[in-house]
Amino acid sequence: MHLTRAPLDSGALAAEVGSAARGATVLFLGTVRDRHLGRAVTGIDYTAYEPLAEATLARIERELAAEHEGLALRVVHRLGALAAGEASIAIAAAAPRREAAFAAARRALERVKREAPIWKLERYADGGQAWREEEPLSPPG
Amino acid sequence: MRIRLLAFATAAQALGAAESEVEVPDGATVGTLARLLGDRHPELAARAARLAFAVDGELARPERALREGCEVALLPPVSGG
Repeated sequence: MHLTRAPLDSGALAAEVGSAARGATVLFLGTVRDRHLGRAVTGIDYTAYEPLAEATLARIERELAAEHEGLALRVVHRLGALAAGEASIAIAAAAPRREAAFAAARRALERVKREAPIWKLERYADGGQAWREEEPLSPPG
Repeated sequence: MRIRLLAFATAAQALGAAESEVEVPDGATVGTLARLLGDRHPELAARAARLAFAVDGELARPERALREGCEVALLPPVSGG
């Protein structure tokens, strides 16, 4: 499970990847920022093309785990209406050494932002709202 | 043949619907569908260069053939995280 409408449980995610063999666990939380380009943001609605987003997050976990020996990686993205300050994404990476754990957590976030069919509808304090469009998707190959 | 169309974010706005059914000519590809939708929805045509398509849950190139009843998703640039 990589998509949820419930608040993210970062402690549970860290516990999922941790083990005595993995001496480094990195936990990343992305939270809804209260400003965008100087405009006050009250919240963000996240939507996804769920079957493809689910498969994409699973693939990112699998591919990064294959790149780093001993890595355990979990990525969970929240969907629905989030208020400023709430966590929208949690990434837990655990590896025998810290270098791999930091590198995998960062890479997982960057890949989610480029590859997962998930969109932000930002809601502003002035009553306006806008879709954020950042990274165009492209088919593999 | 008829296909099921899903549209997200600004693509849904441009189409006026998140879900619809569209009649396409036999032998149509993703590219055929993109041109047909662009002709009907100028706002979508303006965004065509940055729009991606998925067929039955997989990202697809313009030459990908469509078949009766398949699900095509219109995917604008993404902003997750």
